[in-house]
Amino acid sequence: MGNVYLITGASSDVGCALIRRLYQPGDLFLAQGAGDLSGLAPLVKEFPGAIHTFDVDLTDPAATDLFIEQVGRIAAPTHLVHLPALRVVNTKFKKFDEERFERDMSVQVRSAVKLCKAFVPAMAKAKRGRVLFMLTSYLLGLPPKNTAAYIMAKSALHGLAKSLAADYAGTGVTVNCVMPSMMETKFLADTSNLIVEASAQANPMGRNARVEDVVPAMAFLLGEEAGFITGVSLPITGGSAL
Amino acid sequence: MDEKTILAAVQDIFRDNFDDEELVITRETCADDIEDWDSLEQINLLTAIEKKFGLKFQLADVRGLANVGDLLDLIARMTA
Repeated sequence: MGNVYLITGASSDVGCALIRRLYQPGDLFLAQGAGDLSGLAPLVKEFPGAIHTFDVDLTDPAATDLFIEQVGRIAAPTHLVHLPALRVVNTKFKKFDEERFERDMSVQVRSAVKLCKAFVPAMAKAKRGRVLFMLTSYLLGLPPKNTAAYIMAKSALHGLAKSLAADYAGTGVTVNCVMPSMMETKFLADTSNLIVEASAQANPMGRNARVEDVVPAMAFLLGEEAGFITGVSLPITGGSAL
Repeated sequence: MDEKTILAAVQDIFRDNFDDEELVITRETCADDIEDWDSLEQINLLTAIEKKFGLKFQLADVRGLANVGDLLDLIARMTA
């Protein structure tokens, strides 16, 4: 029996690259995206029968519950990878958009709570499981200005990861995070070029993170050999934040 | 777009960004004149200007800007 990977935000550049990196014959991928799942189409073709796609709006609690029920009927996930976030918008705090923040909290945090509650206890029972969250190097040291909503949502997710790591450390389930610095993907569509270029220039390695810098670290933390590593948040920053 | 129109729009962006409705800028205004105008605020100003005028700056375009006058000239060139 292969692994069953439940990946949320799977249609992202990172999600698609991760599936390609992890795939072994016999594995099953339950891949959630919202709206545009076109990134997954080539993978579905490449790995016939191995990838089930789900178009689910994680801001909708009822849709999220239904998604969890559907996943449960297909297979019990052995691996849960949670990637989704609303795009970062640089906003002065006086213009803080509370409604958007609520949506971001639903996409990033509430959905993670629901998914972990639904699937981590079964992983613990099976004495085997991996949970991995996408965080950000913005949580290391002084955060950049004007990103309060993003920082708060990621901090909450960080808290969930640490708590789950503590709760499940004795069960064979590990819970870890990656903290990449600014990564050049379609996630940056709403970020000014100036910010992207300035970030690359400020990085000691002279560039921003790439998908191929981050995915191997994720694959490692999801692998069998990382079984003694839990509660870790791994910076992948080229030295820009430590 | 004439310089007066550009200046008025840029002044609104400065007022909003630095939270100062009384702020008056001229061609000579530079980072030394506004206490909070640091490199990050510079990027915030420029991204607000990008949005307002429908422009896309590259870092090379904005590196040499010494004062508001240079900024107005750059906007005028790019919107011409």
